[in-house]
Amino acid sequence: MAQDSGSNLGIEPGVLKEIYRQMSRIRAVDKAIQAGLSSGKFMFTYWPMTGQESIPATIAQLTSKRDYMVTTYRGIHDQVAKGVDLQGLFAEALGRIDGVNKGKGGSPHISDPSSGSMLTTAIVGAGTPIANGLALAAQLRGEDRVTIVNFGDGATSIGAIHEAMNLAGVWKLPVVFLCQNNQIGEYTRIPDYTASRTFAGRADGYGFKGVKLDATDVAGFHKGMQAVIEEVRRGDGPVFVEATTFRIGPHAGVGESKDVPAEELEAAKAAWPLPRTRALLIEAGICSEKELAEIDESAQSEVDRAIEGALLSKVTPIEETLLDVYADPDVAPRRGHYPVREAEKAPTGPTRAMAMHEAVCDAHDLAMAQDSGVFLLGEDIGDPPGGVFMTSKGLQTKYGKSRVRPTPIAETAIVGAGIGAALVGMRPVAELMFDDFMGVCMDQIANHAAKQRYMSGAATHVPLTIRMMMGGGLGGFGAQHSQSLEAWLLHTPGLKVVYPSTPFDAKGLLLSCIFDDDPCIHLEAILSLMTTKEEVPLEDYRIPLGVAKVRREGTDITLISYGWQVRLCVAAAEELQKEGISVEVIDLRTLVPLDYHRVLDSVKKTRRALVVHAATEFCGLGAEIVATINEELFTKLKGPAIRLGADYAPIAYSKAIEDHQIPSANSIADRVRAAFKSHR
Amino acid sequence: MSTSLTIPRLEMSMTEGTLAEWVVASGGAVKQGDVIYILETDKTARDIEAPAAGMLIHKVEAGETYEVGTEIGEIV
Repeated sequence: MAQDSGSNLGIEPGVLKEIYRQMSRIRAVDKAIQAGLSSGKFMFTYWPMTGQESIPATIAQLTSKRDYMVTTYRGIHDQVAKGVDLQGLFAEALGRIDGVNKGKGGSPHISDPSSGSMLTTAIVGAGTPIANGLALAAQLRGEDRVTIVNFGDGATSIGAIHEAMNLAGVWKLPVVFLCQNNQIGEYTRIPDYTASRTFAGRADGYGFKGVKLDATDVAGFHKGMQAVIEEVRRGDGPVFVEATTFRIGPHAGVGESKDVPAEELEAAKAAWPLPRTRALLIEAGICSEKELAEIDESAQSEVDRAIEGALLSKVTPIEETLLDVYADPDVAPRRGHYPVREAEKAPTGPTRAMAMHEAVCDAHDLAMAQDSGVFLLGEDIGDPPGGVFMTSKGLQTKYGKSRVRPTPIAETAIVGAGIGAALVGMRPVAELMFDDFMGVCMDQIANHAAKQRYMSGAATHVPLTIRMMMGGGLGGFGAQHSQSLEAWLLHTPGLKVVYPSTPFDAKGLLLSCIFDDDPCIHLEAILSLMTTKEEVPLEDYRIPLGVAKVRREGTDITLISYGWQVRLCVAAAEELQKEGISVEVIDLRTLVPLDYHRVLDSVKKTRRALVVHAATEFCGLGAEIVATINEELFTKLKGPAIRLGADYAPIAYSKAIEDHQIPSANSIADRVRAAFKSHR
Repeated sequence: MSTSLTIPRLEMSMTEGTLAEWVVASGGAVKQGDVIYILETDKTARDIEAPAAGMLIHKVEAGETYEVGTEIGEIV
């Protein structure tokens, strides 16, 4: 009898039973969280997914832990069905050390590579560019993994999704854009947030397939998803799925939604797949009431055990504060702690005269030759032109289109794809043509690349390198292509920031960045890229991050700078020498980690310091460095450590203004002279 | 092991709630999931269910407003 009835269901009876088992587990977790919050036993923010259980419960039958998943803060159902350990999940939600992410991420930031739950974001829509990167890694490695990225209907309005869909279409990535359309975006509904009549239809605009599936019809949804996942796994490119469902709960908190009319809520509850599937299993003779009760009890006891175990775990202690910001805790700047890092050994092999753009290109070449996980992505980086500043010239010809990947003009998609591929161990190098464009993708850099190691309690990390060109000092590039925005990056824990001033340093530092396990930003001034040549060793050599270099020795004052301004400091020093002032110039080379050890050592000797940078003086890195020097060496200084940066204005198109608003050799020398005058 | 009952945070913006009514008298037996009291916030009134089975003990009076986190009773 079960056989007969089952054949009419449109789904294998055994599969339907397994879907119910997952829904029952999800429901037990949902109820336990709501009970804990209601009684006051738990105190955390919860975004209920009641009503949406059928989606991940079905997908769990069609995927394995080898497949990647990305989801959002309203994603506990996705985590449960993906196979995240429930005790670890509860401990994480409670902020405990034994949480899957050491209590540092919490329920909105689960990462559990062991189950394939790679990243959970609390920034609406931001998971989609990263999912592209996971899918790209699978594609490049020739693996048949599928990446499923979940988001709500409310997320379909945000730019990241559109950039991600466009890129996935262009690159035919094995990714499923899974829109869980629960009929409401937080508190706002259609037509108040979109005039679109369909979400699935948007995929067509990006050149791939979109389907709308009713997730309240479990058999039909399973059939539809099976076809989608098979197609994507086969390599036919991405698919957008609009899975219609209903959020029975509120945006955040417990209980039922007050944001929809009562009759609509009642209709949704009547269509709720969880109780309906249970009834169907009995009606179709697939399960007895006793069997279903056993499934429910088993789910309940799994949850009870998980909570009991989670509550035994300690609240994550303050000793963890600076751990997992970087692989090496010493990288995080701390007042009074100035580690000594060993300088590089001078390479002895043959050399060739290279401009910085050639040195960068050479570093790319060496990295790609030795590690198949290294690939490049960015705008116009293919041949020709090999990058607008020729930093990848010839590499697409040498390594092919799969490893040197020109992209759409879409920085969020570029950085997101880099993050996703890095999450699974590749070493992407993404190029932003100008650092001014970082505002376009700052969410990916600051909220995702920088924080992922920390939020995941080091369950994951992001060995991504982002190269950015700096247009300052050239003149005529205007306010949106000339800024020095490194302070934005320095204020974002989790990033390493490098800013070479010479071709030799650029090659050695970039190689270190590419093979570093933390996200590194490699800043390259166009002024340095295209001008001076120097002899650069042909071999692979690494300059350790966080080691400054004395460019010119002196005894009366230390100038501390980085990037293209180092050259100006040296020129100012030569001028001042004529006046009898002996100037030491330190090139920081790396801004995080910052080599305070060598800076303080030099200033102990000269007893005066001036920090120089092209970035705005107010709240620039100079303010930080002089504060530290003044605090550490107050009694030894002949005068206060001082700084010189750009005037507080956008960079002007007028060359007269730009030349004046940014430090020049003359204004640097003047600042030194003034310091000597006021503090003899 | 007793289970402490505190005023929950039902919404992100909630700082206090009014214990409108004890549905189960102090000393009464409750099963997990039974409605034990009604909590009013500025937005809504909600039935609060027992997180565990046992005997409910009231620790505060109904009709008063309490801060989130205030212990109002326990189930022993």
